[in-house]
Amino acid sequence: MRYRLLAGLAAVALITGAGGAFAASPPNALVIGTNLGAIPALDPAAINARTVSEVVSNLYDNLVIVNPDDLTTIRPMLAEKWTVSDDKRTITMTIRKGATFSSGNPVTAEDAAWTIQRVIKMGAVGSTDIALWGFTKDNVDSLVQATDPQTLVIKLPEPVSTDLVLYSLAGASLGIVDKKTVLANEKNGDLGQNWLKSNSAGSGPFKLTQWRPNDILLTDARADYWAGAPAMKRVVMRHVPESGNMRLQIEAGDIDVGQYMASGDIEALEAKGATIDPGPGLGFYYIAMNTQDPDLAKPKVREAFQHILDWKPLAATTMKYNGFPWQSIIPKGMSGAPTAEPTGHEYDPEKAKRLLAEAGYPNGLKKTLFPSSDALLKMAVALQDNARKAGVEFEIVPGEHTPDFRARKFQVLVGNSGTRLPDPFGTLVQYAYNPDNRDEAKLGGYYLWRTALDAPELTKLVDQSKAETDPEKRKALFEQVDKGYQALPPTLIITLQRTDPYVIKKGVSGYVGHPTWSTRWFDVKKN
Amino acid sequence: MTTYEAFNRPQRFLRLRQFSGKALSIVVTLVGLLLLTFTMGRLLPADPVLAVTGSEVDRATYERVYNELGLGEPVWKQFASYVGRMLTGDMGQSLTTGRPVAQDLLTVFPATIELALVAMLCGTLIGVPLGIVAAINRGKLIDHIARIVGLAGHSIPIFWLGLMALFVFYAKLRWVSASGRIDILNEGLVPPITGLMLLDTALQGEWDVFRDALSHIILPGAILGYYSVAYISRMTRSFMLEQLGQEYIISARAKGVSRRQMIWSHAFKNIRVQLLTVLALTFGGLLDGAVLIETVFGWPGLGQYLTRGLKMNDMNVVMGAVLLIGVVFLTINIISDKLYRILDPRTR
Repeated sequence: MRYRLLAGLAAVALITGAGGAFAASPPNALVIGTNLGAIPALDPAAINARTVSEVVSNLYDNLVIVNPDDLTTIRPMLAEKWTVSDDKRTITMTIRKGATFSSGNPVTAEDAAWTIQRVIKMGAVGSTDIALWGFTKDNVDSLVQATDPQTLVIKLPEPVSTDLVLYSLAGASLGIVDKKTVLANEKNGDLGQNWLKSNSAGSGPFKLTQWRPNDILLTDARADYWAGAPAMKRVVMRHVPESGNMRLQIEAGDIDVGQYMASGDIEALEAKGATIDPGPGLGFYYIAMNTQDPDLAKPKVREAFQHILDWKPLAATTMKYNGFPWQSIIPKGMSGAPTAEPTGHEYDPEKAKRLLAEAGYPNGLKKTLFPSSDALLKMAVALQDNARKAGVEFEIVPGEHTPDFRARKFQVLVGNSGTRLPDPFGTLVQYAYNPDNRDEAKLGGYYLWRTALDAPELTKLVDQSKAETDPEKRKALFEQVDKGYQALPPTLIITLQRTDPYVIKKGVSGYVGHPTWSTRWFDVKKN
Repeated sequence: MTTYEAFNRPQRFLRLRQFSGKALSIVVTLVGLLLLTFTMGRLLPADPVLAVTGSEVDRATYERVYNELGLGEPVWKQFASYVGRMLTGDMGQSLTTGRPVAQDLLTVFPATIELALVAMLCGTLIGVPLGIVAAINRGKLIDHIARIVGLAGHSIPIFWLGLMALFVFYAKLRWVSASGRIDILNEGLVPPITGLMLLDTALQGEWDVFRDALSHIILPGAILGYYSVAYISRMTRSFMLEQLGQEYIISARAKGVSRRQMIWSHAFKNIRVQLLTVLALTFGGLLDGAVLIETVFGWPGLGQYLTRGLKMNDMNVVMGAVLLIGVVFLTINIISDKLYRILDPRTR
């Protein structure tokens, strides 16, 4: 009996050992290891996360596109060309002839107009960027119109720098949707929202063939894509939530691109010759404080909190590859951003203690600390540890706390942000803008509102920068906002600028992580 | 004839009463389970309306969805309609995937069941012989080794063990695959019948795909199974020791029955029934343990579905998955109870 058992086990080993399923990923297919658990739905209008933006950017084309290596130039995509009227209030776009959706329907100006109207009408997360320019459910139908199958006219409800509008049209949420197909799948007037959660209707170079949450997302290249067929016949996203497992699979050659990896694993792969695309992001890591808490409403307390996190070792260890030291609300290298090394938020527990005493807390403070998601837990623990030396006790409540943050239901939170507008305005409007501080305004998109801090001066300046087109004047405005923000003292303390590293296997080229997360697979090649 | 009937009637009545008692207890358990999941849905801090609409929502939409979800109704009414929907198999829609939860569960649950079955097989194949060997050699070196082998599986973090096993068997030896249920090249080649990949591929004679599926499941299955070895072997050992100390064994030995015959034909036969209960309990435990192993191996099963639902505040998913787990435990209990009765006439 014992021998039979052994023989059986040996047979299993032989069978599995003889299987031919372990070849490296095929030469004409790209395999991306990622975390598919974070994808809520595939509808462009409802997305605001990284992985799903990447998927959508390859299933859908935008009217215009911004290359990852040159964020200042807006290039044509479905819109072949465009003109801006003299009063800068009307953008007229000519839609490319010959582009088709994966359904076979031709792409028309009507589809483009409907896409913009749909995003605004749905009012979901994806509308945030474009709604900034004054479009509302009531005015969008009359302002955005197709005058003929090839002409799209966008009228702006208020004076806005047209570049900003074009930037927002390049974002993943504004991927142009096949109106006919979506309306054919509409239910109870939901604008196809339910159907698009797990189906796609775009004109991009890839079409969705399979999606199983927590498992796999398969896309096939379209041979009839208007810009020619991409080199990769297939792109597969595989759910590999565990970084160590991902590392083994990249080493073995089964995965070509790895996302969401731990810094230790990235470091090891870099040493073995993998390319690390640092994935510079346009967001930050921050500590947010709610001024609805009477203690945190005191500016002295917030000033003290600027010195309770030792971010230098953090940037060199757990946050390596995920961020670099930065303390301005304008991303590094952009117009108006400081050129010097970041200063101002140095770790100084003694200074923090002194400031707290001056604020009336000689015995320190006790607060609850939310990490905005599991990914931020490590940072929260580091903060808890550092802050103790400054007399601040944090009780950490793990979980996904972004909804609490949006609803102003928190005391202190650590989180990170991203933006899809590759312009300083994109971060300024997030961090330094609050047009209505009342609870019932529910302006969850703005961080100052979330932290209940009214800053009318800054709000005015940010509004001004929206319409300004002169580069020098814009720069001056941005600098002014940044300075004013730091003087508040702000409710969000920035210590690191976000990066989203991509680990790319040797032999894979053309995969370039996009700072606004619309990474495209069209140019990817393998040799 | 009359005497026979007179004898049989109360017996039949007794069985009927037993049966209805059992059925009642199942119904009560089910209602309790439904009440539990319903309360859970109400008590969790997630706002069900915001989960549907997203957080940037105007008051009118909020109220429309609030009413659509029936949240304005009295609680008992909400519970009644919840039970009604569950009885018809309508677990609502996943707010994130847009598909009915019941349909989602039908795809993720077989993956977990298959993993647990393989784990169970591995655990039994290692645990039972280990327990028997330990019992026969009680107090000797091999007994201690058996205990250490079992305990190691139980005390080493399953997460770490999974990664180490991947390193050895996937990265170094290339014997097995690393992630998911099947290779992408074989994706969609074999139409699902039962949802159990090994069974489906075998039934359709697709042996290449079968080997691929096996190479994916064998590692997570074996590790998950190893996790249960400590419990199975310890229980087997103590059942076996109890039997070996019985008089019938001693007299069988005296009569000259061979050692092998004594162990397998006499002692093992008598512990089969007890072992069955142990294995049934283990199976339930394996479903629990699958959550971690599913993460390490990117296994698209119930554990990951449930955690994702929790993270996304997708309450229909959480309630549906918890209900399913409850029903599975209930079913395992009923089946093991039934088998117990069949195999051991004394308990009838």
